[in-house]
Amino acid sequence: MNRFDLLNKLQNILKDNLVICNIGLPSQELYKISDQPNFFYMLGSMGLSSSIGLGLALSQNKHVISIDGDGSVLMNMNTLATIGNRAPSNYTLLIIDNGSYGSTGDQRTFTDEKTSLKDVALGAGCKNVVECSGEETVNELNKAIDDKDNSYVIISKINSGNVKIDPIPLNPITIRDRFRKFIGKVKYL
Amino acid sequence: MKISKKIIDNLKKGGVDFYLSVPCKLLANMIDILENDKDVYYSAVPREEEGMGICAGAYLGNKFPCIMMQNTGIGNSVNAIVSLLQLYQMPVVFLISYRGTPGEPVGAQGGMAKITEDILQTLRIPMLHCSSENELDKISTFSKHAKVVESPVAILCDFNLMKDDK
Repeated sequence: MNRFDLLNKLQNILKDNLVICNIGLPSQELYKISDQPNFFYMLGSMGLSSSIGLGLALSQNKHVISIDGDGSVLMNMNTLATIGNRAPSNYTLLIIDNGSYGSTGDQRTFTDEKTSLKDVALGAGCKNVVECSGEETVNELNKAIDDKDNSYVIISKINSGNVKIDPIPLNPITIRDRFRKFIGKVKYL
Repeated sequence: MKISKKIIDNLKKGGVDFYLSVPCKLLANMIDILENDKDVYYSAVPREEEGMGICAGAYLGNKFPCIMMQNTGIGNSVNAIVSLLQLYQMPVVFLISYRGTPGEPVGAQGGMAKITEDILQTLRIPMLHCSSENELDKISTFSKHAKVVESPVAILCDFNLMKDDK
């Protein structure tokens, strides 16, 4: 199973939640599978999906899923400490760990060598850390959303590999405005 | 404490209700005030770039965020500012302790001080430079300006303004 297959399997869960999706192919693949106003596609700032999702979860009550990658979490590893200490129960970090920098040509990351993001997350203070296969991810993500008392970090171990795909044909302000409109009660617009 | 209280009062008057900081000794009093303020969210954060991401999410969730940091933090955050906050036109207030300005005892802080305003100017970020107490009254209007122009804005507080705020 690669990222595209996994996102396909998750689309019915994702459509009912606020989703922050990582820059590059993850966002492009998600857009191709099922575009929704409650999906925030990152067009820049690699590494910050988990952080954007955390800020969003702290600011309103709907459940937030940050879709991140192993390469991106390695770039912003302090995020796991902030999540371990501050994440509210409406927050799930889903790390799609394919051991490679998918958007840049599938170069290997350190999770394909010695680094375990599960161990890093546990050491950083995250309590509910699940490492699972792509097939198990649907079930684990549902459990995380249903648990109203705890936040989760799910590390979904899948194969590398991408599908041929175009850039997202939405401008950033469109992505921003329809996302904020979906949340409602736009105070500062 | 008087200076720090005035800064926080003005930020709150400007609508800021979500605060992060990467600590600085010049920000210590403001952090104390915010930790005891039940009306707003406050947390420390390990790195400024990460804080920019959290602020972006807070804005999407209808908060008006501020990140407090040393000017060195701007250097850590340039890509996040340009390809997240500015790309999606997100208002965020940067409250910056301007290390390396006159009065600063640590010589090594001078390097970032020399280029801080150049970086902000290159990024086209509106700046409010506060070197005396009366300038702090401009902070509330300046914060509201961030929302009007949908842009991050930077407030620079000089070393000598903050150092004796006991």
